[in-house]
Parts: sequence; structure tokens; C-alpha cells
Amino acid sequence: MSYAYLFKYIIIGDTGVGKSCLLLQFTDKRFQPVHDLTIGVEFGARMITIDGKQIKLQIWDTAGQEAFRSITRSYYRGAAGALLVYDITRRDTFNHLTTWLEDARQHSNSNMVIMLIGNKNDLESRREVKKEEGEAFAREHGLIFMETSAKTAANVEEAFINTAKEIYEKIQEGVFDINNEANGIKIGPQHLPTNSNLPSGGQYSSSNQGGGCC
Amino acid sequence: MFRGKGWFSGSLWKPKNPHSLEQLKYLYHLFSKNQVVTEQNKALLVETLRSIAEILIWGDQNDSTVFDFFLEKNMLSFFLQIMKQKCGRYVCIQLLQTLNILFENIRNETSLYYLLSNNHVNSIIVHKFDFSDEEVMAYYISFLKTLSLKLNPHTVNFFYNEHTNDFPLYTEAIKFFNHGESMVRIAVRTLTLNVFKVQDRAMLKFIRNKTAAPYFSNLVWFIGNHVLELDNCVRMVTEYQSRLPDFVAEHLDHLHYLNDILCLHIDDLNDVLTDHFLNSLLVPLYVFSLTKRRRHSQTEDDKPHVSSVVSLFLLSQVFLIISHQPLVRQLAHTILNKDMTIFTSKPREEVAAHGGNVNTEPGFVAPQETLEKLLENQIHAKSKHMFTKSSESSSMSLDDQTLEPPEEGDVSRPPSQDMTSDSSLQHDTKDEEQESLSECSIALQSNGTNITDEEKAVAAHKLSQSALEHLQQEFSLSNRPFLEAIFNALECTENDHAALFALCLLYALGHNAAGINQDLLDTVLMPTDKSETKQLYNINLVERLIKIIIQSCQYNSRIRLATLEMSILLVKQLVLKDGYSFLQDRHLAAIEQAREESTLLLRNFYKSEEIFLDMFEDEYHEMKKRPLNVEYLMMDDKLLLPPTGTPMSGVEFHKRLPCGEVERARRAIRVFFILRDLSLSLQGEVETQLPLTNTANCIKMNEVLDLTNFPDNSDLIACTVLTKNGEKIRRFMVIDILQLILVQPDTKKLGWGVAKFVGFLQDIEVAGDKDDSRCLHLTVHRPASSAGATAGNGRTPLLAARFVFDDHIRCMAAKQRLTKGRLKARQRKLHQIARLLELPEHIQPCPSPLRQGLHVIRDTDNPSVIHRSQSQDTGFHSKASSSSGSQGPYRPLFISTNRVPGFATMMKREQNSLPSSIQHESSGGERQRRPSGSPSSQRHSSIPRSRDSSPRQQRNSSSEEIPLEDLSKSRSRHSSPNLKRQSASGLPKARISAPPNISLIPVFSGHATISSHSGRLTDDTGKIDTKLAAELGCKNHIVDSLQEIPVPKSLRPAEIPSVSLVTGSLSEDVPHLLPQLHAQDGDIIQSVSGSDSEMDSPSEMCTKPCCMNETSFTEKQLLAALDKTRIDDQQLMSEETSLNLSEGLCHHSSAAAEIVSSSEAPQKAGSVKKNNTVNKGAVHTV
Repeated sequence: MSYAYLFKYIIIGDTGVGKSCLLLQFTDKRFQPVHDLTIGVEFGARMITIDGKQIKLQIWDTAGQEAFRSITRSYYRGAAGALLVYDITRRDTFNHLTTWLEDARQHSNSNMVIMLIGNKNDLESRREVKKEEGEAFAREHGLIFMETSAKTAANVEEAFINTAKEIYEKIQEGVFDINNEANGIKIGPQHLPTNSNLPSGGQYSSSNQGGGCC
Repeated sequence: MFRGKGWFSGSLWKPKNPHSLEQLKYLYHLFSKNQVVTEQNKALLVETLRSIAEILIWGDQNDSTVFDFFLEKNMLSFFLQIMKQKCGRYVCIQLLQTLNILFENIRNETSLYYLLSNNHVNSIIVHKFDFSDEEVMAYYISFLKTLSLKLNPHTVNFFYNEHTNDFPLYTEAIKFFNHGESMVRIAVRTLTLNVFKVQDRAMLKFIRNKTAAPYFSNLVWFIGNHVLELDNCVRMVTEYQSRLPDFVAEHLDHLHYLNDILCLHIDDLNDVLTDHFLNSLLVPLYVFSLTKRRRHSQTEDDKPHVSSVVSLFLLSQVFLIISHQPLVRQLAHTILNKDMTIFTSKPREEVAAHGGNVNTEPGFVAPQETLEKLLENQIHAKSKHMFTKSSESSSMSLDDQTLEPPEEGDVSRPPSQDMTSDSSLQHDTKDEEQESLSECSIALQSNGTNITDEEKAVAAHKLSQSALEHLQQEFSLSNRPFLEAIFNALECTENDHAALFALCLLYALGHNAAGINQDLLDTVLMPTDKSETKQLYNINLVERLIKIIIQSCQYNSRIRLATLEMSILLVKQLVLKDGYSFLQDRHLAAIEQAREESTLLLRNFYKSEEIFLDMFEDEYHEMKKRPLNVEYLMMDDKLLLPPTGTPMSGVEFHKRLPCGEVERARRAIRVFFILRDLSLSLQGEVETQLPLTNTANCIKMNEVLDLTNFPDNSDLIACTVLTKNGEKIRRFMVIDILQLILVQPDTKKLGWGVAKFVGFLQDIEVAGDKDDSRCLHLTVHRPASSAGATAGNGRTPLLAARFVFDDHIRCMAAKQRLTKGRLKARQRKLHQIARLLELPEHIQPCPSPLRQGLHVIRDTDNPSVIHRSQSQDTGFHSKASSSSGSQGPYRPLFISTNRVPGFATMMKREQNSLPSSIQHESSGGERQRRPSGSPSSQRHSSIPRSRDSSPRQQRNSSSEEIPLEDLSKSRSRHSSPNLKRQSASGLPKARISAPPNISLIPVFSGHATISSHSGRLTDDTGKIDTKLAAELGCKNHIVDSLQEIPVPKSLRPAEIPSVSLVTGSLSEDVPHLLPQLHAQDGDIIQSVSGSDSEMDSPSEMCTKPCCMNETSFTEKQLLAALDKTRIDDQQLMSEETSLNLSEGLCHHSSAAAEIVSSSEAPQKAGSVKKNNTVNKGAVHTV
């Protein structure tokens, strides 16, 4: 389970836009999209491959933290990527994007890659926000944009992976300081020059344990 | 095993519908067959676990029998069983994820209760997973966090067992409070807050008695170590510095977290937190470090501390963020009134005698044990006798509380306790005797029996008015080492690094409305908005503030704008009450003095260059748009590093020193605005002159206008607007004083029109079309004030379109009027600025030649000159200007057809103390009238008009001359005349070139002229010719160019080169030579040319805005000019002539041409890029 990089994501947006469902859909595709069943989760991790490199994505949902300022602040700062989600069938969730974005911009590090996601595009008949509007918003604020459906899994992979690609490119360009874990990027265990000054030496033990115990 | 596998794959057993009770039964079967985890069945188990989550959620939402079956079979126990075998991360993770999904998605309350009811979940929580595996850790902590989100007064009892004093969810989680992974720490914090939020007295009592002290002491120690690292970062200029932003942000996170806890108002918990936070961190580390700059630094150096700058910064943050009364009050009291004795340990017995808390003695020391150990000790202590005294006493009070009927979901403290803590604090505050810090917290815990005594004490100590007065005279910083340190930090000897933070700290102290009471601040005479009166304020402090303000008005000041703004905020906080100022006269005088200084400083930069006006307005809007936000300011890690001047540091302009001349000008503008505002507020006056554009008077979009007001229909030019996206609209163009308006005739009212577009004339750019003589390209840029100007859409123009007119005459007319309108709009504003800077005549009404001219222009009733009241000039177009338009598409607007030669007069007020000729050269941006008696002035006066805008001409006159010629030649490609310019022999530094431009003037004489001019003008011309022998080879007006003069740092302010001005002359004005002189030492400039000899000339009247000179430099030109200098690297540069056509009229005989010549002699002073001297002489010839 070794990886070259670990990217931490957060998912933000109004409640009920399907954040945790997106997360689960991405991290555990085995949950079949079934009618009338919405399952979400607040944390997930998955390995992807970019440019031949194994990259682990850790996604933290921020649900339930809104009440505490200290918490939202810190969440933003610890992430390299953010999915900003709205629901295409609810105009108000789109209208709140500005507030979310302001928050994100204020608290996150300036390099954080933000992807705008219009979720639930399987519900075309109830659509309230046109795709063009999402595109325009993204263009105006310099975000990547995509419409997805956690239910049909449409574009879910792409959303997470494209965000990762963008982060990866930024790393290649040297924009991110990858030695600073506060940026939400971690270098994989085997990629560390030495393991000397890392407080948690735990990355190795996982594999040891995995192999050893059973 | 083999059979098991068969079952798994066998479709016989596996129900077709994955969402059904049968499916769960099948899964149960699998579990019971695979109770031992082996390498072989791992995958199966994982899949089973996953499916269970799915089916349970489905059941929760659709079929209750599913859940019943799950509970009936006690399937959760399988989970535990699997877990207890060393199953490896693969299974562990799936297990945790299934639990996560389960608890996150269950909506049915009953289902949730069932899941929690047998103690399985707690067993899972305390299970020792392999936390060194980051993924296991992440899933585990997410699981705990998910559970904490489900907490409420009902569910909490599933997690907290009152009888066994057990609360694994909380105690297990806080063990990770300092985990290396930030997301884990955040999850822990979320969880703790979710727990505290639940209003369950027994549970909170447990938290308070068993966990609060261990957790908070460790937390505070953790924060303190972060602070030490932060300090290290600041000290060491190394690669570590890249981590500084994180440390600062992290510290803010800590403070916000503590504040979030405090804001839950769980008083018993807050007392413990306050105690630890104050006595183990804030006082011993932050406050202690305040003194680390000077006096006390040698003592006790072994104690951990940070630099005073850092401590000022951190304390400001504390007061800006935290408002918990007992905490901030105590902290403020310590800072304001205590001395170093608080750090000398009290005898242990004394503390003990007070029944004091273990930790009340200030000291930044590590907790004796790790959190885990401490928790263990606390929780597993079986009986109460093991508790510390403090926890016992508080637990008593908690017991008391629990006896009372709990208010509906309210944990707020009972009123009696409220009073106790308040009064004890006040008592402490008032009391000038040194009370130990511990007393406060002790008092907090006391039962309130002594309230009345306390209150008496308060009353007795309440500072009477007379006592305050006494204090104002006698106020001393001795015995107040901390306050003294803060005051000393206000001293900006080398820089204002610490001063900015000290200001913020003092501001935050006064601004912490919820927490700090005014009585406390009165002990150091710091009135705030809460004070009834501000009659008495701390003179020592105000004088220090004024000193900063005065320092910031100097040319090479080391005071950043943010510091100045903070000083002023603080001054206002101290002396302004409801718009009334209590500032003593001498202090007010000092501030007025500073304001004068700031005006003088800005005068040095005053230029009629285009960019100056833009900068001026831009800075104003910038300032209004983004007022200083102290909280944001104190979030900026970059401020911790020593102040810098380079923009490459990424530090915002107002938080650093200016770099280069343009930024110095910007800074001067800001300082001027800031001090003007202060002065006005102190005097209770309202700003009437800013912003320059009064939008209330402007025409708005879709406004219906009575166009019949425009007497002459020629003011309405019909045109077709072709926009970029192919639209084609028919409109009428109206040119108002400040605005360009495109109207559509109103269908309802004849002669009225609806404004379909409005733009400011000052922002337009006009260019002809070389292929189509009926066509103009018009761009209207966004004004600096508009919101969109700096936002995402950047500088996209308001309008960029092609205008097609009926014929080429109308086209030319439109062009001229636009061009002229633009110039006049700008001149008007520059004149406003001049008035703001108190540059001249308004105070000293000296009948300058310009004045008359102005009159003429303004006076609409002078038929010969002007036809229309508002758009007087529009009807007149000099051919010259129109032809100039065709000269080059790039600078159509710069043609100074209507330059008014009045500029110099505006500066008149300043007198030049320097003897004569030399001085005017030196003027940096200020034009002076020379004393008429001086030799040079005589020369000048003999020359009708010229402008000398160049600073620093005193150097090297000879060198200037040659290059000037070169430059003029080089410039001629812009259609500019070949000018020859020579310096007037008698005027060593002033160069005046006379353009022979009569050719320009020809043109349109369609309107009446002022005949009186001609004579005069001719005379002038003659003079000019003889004296200056300048030639003009061009037919058009040319605006001269070029300015931008980097100044060597060593220059005194007075030497700051100004940008040269181009004088525009209207035909009604007699050209004048107006040298630009620099005021030195506040001398008044007198008009040279002027004053006496030419008094009666019409142009004398021209003092109004429209007569102001205007330079038309664009950045492009400027750059071009600079390039040029670079290219030939010769000392002298540039020369421009400009001809001025009469405003509204041209006549052959009397056209005014003006040449402004500018020469720059780079003076290599030091390594500075280029130091140019610009000499400008402007001569108007007729």
C-alpha cells in the first residue's frame, strides 16, 4: 500500500447536496447505485495512478462542523484539494457557492485546487441550475468544473482524479511545498529521503502488520 | 473451508435481491460460518461487512424487519469478535468503514438506540487498533467523530456511564489531541466540542473533574511549544521560515478552538481552562516575554520566552479573538497594572492555604505526566479522596447545581456565581495592591458568601473623577513593566516593526468590548467607546502616537501605512466620542502640524501627469473600499518578519515601505488622505471635497434627460455604435462636463433622451480610423472606483466600440470634443486636487494672468468664447487638434489642443526662498512663481509663459541642453515638431523651447476670438523667439512627454523631481512661461512671469480647473521615454512641444503653441537605476 504522494481533500457545500455520497461512490464503487438508497460516508481513501505514480487520496467530509469556527478554519488549511459541491436541482445551493468559496479562499493555502461540482445531474427533469451557469461561475473564479451524479457514478471518478492531476501538476511545477504537510500533501514512506525527522514513523508498520498477522 | 467457499459462490444461497431480509440472513450465515479470520476468508469477510452496511441502511429506510433481525442475532458482536483477532488492516478498515456508514446513515432513532444499547460500541472504541497505520487511524477517528455527531442528551448515556465513571468516546479521542496528522487533531477537536455541547450535567461534571485539568494542561503546553517554534521561525532566517505561515495559522486555530470552548459557556469547565490558559501559558510565556526587549531581559533568561515582537503579536491575537470575561480581564489587568513580582513564586503554603488550584502559580512548565497517564490516574481513582482539592470543591458546586432543577437545556452558571466571579475580578482590577493571580481563580471558585464585601471593596476602589485627574498628571510607567514595554515598542527609532503590534494590542484591549471593562482601562487612562467621556486620556500614550503620526509624514519615513492607520485608530479610540474630540489643544495642534506636513509631502509629488490623477483617485477608492481590518492584519504572518520595502516580498502595499518613486507618491497620497480624515474628524467636520467625483451629480444609466437644455443641437452628435459583438445601435452622443453620455431619444417626450450609456470623460481613449474618416474608435475604461475594476474581469473596458458618424466633419467634431472633454475633465480634477493641497490662489488671491482666462472660460455669457454653459468648448474645434488626431493612433488624446497655460499660477503660493533662477529649476513638482525681482524672474516675465516643471535642473545645465535636442528629434516621429530647445542663457537651468507652431494654429476660426490676445501673443512670441530660439516643426500640438524620474534615495523631499507638466494654452490665454519651481522649506512660490507685468492680459484670469495644465503622458510614452534614455544612455532627453489652441477658438494670428520641453539628465547617484532631471520650459508662441 505504498504510495508516492498522499493528497488530502475536503468536500464542502451545503448540506444535502450529496457530498458524502460522492465520497463513498468514489472510494467504494461496490456500493451499487440503487434507487431510493442514499449512503454516504465522512471519510474515505483510495489509491489512484497518475503519470505512473501511485497516489493516495484521502477525502475528509466537513459535515457537521459548521457551528465551530475553529474547525472550519483548520479543515481548509489542511487540504490540498477541495470539491465544492452544489445540487443542480436546488438553486439555493448554487447561490451559496460564493460564501463557500470566500471561506475556502480565506482559510486555505493559496495553492489549494478547488473543483466545482454540480451534483445530481441524473435528475435532469428537476434541474434548476443550468450547466452553463456552473461553467460561468467556475470560469469567473478560476475553478475546474464538472457535473456529476453520485447515483449513476457519472463523472465521479473524473472529478476526483482531475483534481488530483491538477495538484500533481502543481507539484511538478514546484508550486506546492511538498515537505510541508500542512499543505495537505504527504510524500509516501518509501519516497522519503530519510525517516529521521518525521514524528510518526507509522507508515511502515501497516504493511508489516498486514502481512504478519494473518 | 472448501464448502464455505461453495456456499459463498453458490447462487442457491445468495438471494437475488441484495436488498432484502433474506440477504441479511444469508450474510449472517456467512458470519457464523467464518468466525475465525483466516487469510482465505478475509476477502469474504470484507465483502460481508460491506454488504451488511448496505443492507442495514436499506433496511433502516425501507424495512424495519431487517434491523430487527440484525439486533436479534446480535450481529454487532461478530464485529467485535473479528476485531479481537488480529485481523490486519484490510479487515479492520472495512470494519471501521462499515461502522462509519452505519452510524452516519441511520436516520431511525430507535435503530440507533438499538445499535448503541449493548455496550458493543464502547468496546469497539476502546479496542487498541494499530494506530500507527495512518489509514486505520483516519477511519477510527472518523468513526469517533461520526459518533460524536450523534450525541444528544439521550444518546450521551450510551457513551457516558455515570456509575463506572466511564466515557471512552471522549477519553480515547482526546488522547490524540496532539497527533501528528492535522486532520486527526481537527477531528479530535470537533469531537470535544460536540461532547461539550451536549447539555448533560453528570457528563460535564465528569469532564470537568476527571479530564479537564489533564487535557487542558497538556493542550496549553502543546500550544506553548508551538509558540516557541513560531518564535524560532521568526528568529532564524532559514528555510524554516517557509513554515512560519503555518505556525501563525496554527496559533490562530488554537485560539479559535479555545474560544469555541469558552463560548459554550460551561462555567466550570471554563474556569479550569481559564486557569490553565492564563497561568500556564499567557502570563508566564506571552506576558513575560513582553519585557524581553530591554530592561528585564537579563534576569531569568533561563525561562522560556519568545521575542517581544512575537509576544505583542500573539497577545493582540488573544485580545482580538477571545472575549471570555474572566480570562481577558485578568490578562489585561496583569498587563496594565502588574509587575514582575508575579513571577516570583509565592510560598507554596500560601497557595495551599487558599485551597488553591494546583496550577495557579504562573509558570510555563510541562505537565507532570502525559495526558494518557493523567487520565488514567484520574479516572481510575476509585474514591473521591484521591481528587485534588480544587476538583473536589468544584465538584461540590456542581453537586449543588445538580440539585437545582436544571433549566431547560441550559448549563449557564447560576446568577450567584456570576456575581462572584465578576466582583472578584473587579476587585482584583481595582485593587492596586499586588494580588496574586491565584486569588482570582480562587475567588472564582468561592461560594459567593462574601459578595457584599467584595462589592464594598469595589465601590471603595472605584476611581473617582478627581482620582483620575490625579492619575493623568501622575501617571507613571514605573511598576508597570509590561505596559512600559508596550509603550516603548511604540518608539519607532529603527523601524515600526514592534510598534505596529503594540498599537494593535492597545487597540484590541480597548476593543474587547465583551470582556474588558472600562474601569480596568481607566486605571491606565485608556478611554474607549464605552467611556462616558474622554476628557482624561493617557497623555504619555497620545504623545507617542502623535510622534508616530508626525514621523510618518516625512519623506523617507520608516513608518508603514498600516502603522499610521493603527495609530490613528487608536487616537480616535482615545479621544473621539460621538464625533466630539476631547483632544487637548496642544495635541490637536501637533496633529494639524502633521497634516500640514503630509500636504507638503504630497505637493512634492503633485504632477499634472495623467497618472497622478489616476493614482490619486485609485488610492482614494482603494482606501475606502478596504478599510484596515485589524483582525485580518493580525493574521498576517509576513508582518512578523522585519518590515520590508520590496513588493517582491508579496507583502501588501500598506504593510510595507514604499519602493521607488511611484510608490512613494502613492504613499504620500495615502498619508494625505488619512491625516486629512483624522483632522476633519477631530474637528467634527464633514468631508466635502473627496471623492473628486461626486457621483450624486453624475448622470446615471437610464436616466431621462432634458436635452432641450442644450441650446445648440450640435451638442448632440448622432452616431452609430458598433460594438465588438456585432451590435449596431443608433445613439446620440452628449458630452457633459465629466461624462460622456449616449442617449436614445425618449419616445414620450420630444427633446428628451434616455441615457443608455454613461462613462467618465477622463477615462476615454479616442482614435481615428485610418480607413474611414467618419469613424472613431472609442474606448471607455472603467473608473478606478468601480467595483469591477480590480475584480476578476480585470481592466476590461466599460465600452470599446466603433462609432460611425454621418460625415467626416461630424466625426472630427466629435473627436475634438471628446478629446477636449477628456482634458478638461481631468484638468478640473487636478484643480480640485490642487485645492485640496492648498496650492495657491484661493488663499492668496493674486491676480494672475490665468485668472482672467479662467473667467473667460467659465463665463458662459462671454459670447465670443463660449456658447454653452456646460459644454462650452464642444462647438469649437481647432483644426490643429483634429489634424493631430490623425497623426498617430496611439496618442490621439494627448494632443494638448486645449492646454491651459494656467498651471503655474496655481503654485503661486509658495515662495521660493532660493535666489532666483536656480530655484525654480529645483522644483520638484511644484511650480512657483518667482519673485519678480529676481533676475530670472525678470527673464521669465519677459517671456510670456513657460513652464518649467523639471526638478533638479540645477545640475549640469550644459549637459542637458544637448540631449534635449536629440530627444526632441527622436520624438519628432510622433509628429512632434522638431523642436530646438535651448536653455535661456540667463536661466541656467530652465529650458524653454518655443515652438514655432504657427502652422498649427490656422485652422478653424469659426468662432470669435479675443482680439486682444493677438497683440500680446505676438509680443510674447517675439520674446520667446529671441530668448529661447526654439523652433517648432510640427503642425500639431504635441504634448510633451516623459516624466518619471527615479530619484536617488538621498534626495531631500524637496528635490523630488516632479513630472513635467505640459501646459495647455487656450487661445484666450496668453502664453506664459511658467517655470516650475520647487518650494524649499516651505517657501512660497511666487509667480514670476507674472504677476505684475501681465496682469491685464486675459490669460491672467485663468485659474480655474479648466485652465490647468495637463500632461498627457501615458505609461506607454513614459516607457518609451525611458527606453530612449536607456538606448542612448545620454543624459538628456525628451522634449515635447505642444501647441495650444484656443479653447473654442482659433485664429491665425493668435494661436498659442506651447512647448514643453523636458530634459532628463540621468544622474547616476549611486546604483539607482536612473536619475533623471527633467527640465521643462514651456513657451507659448503665437
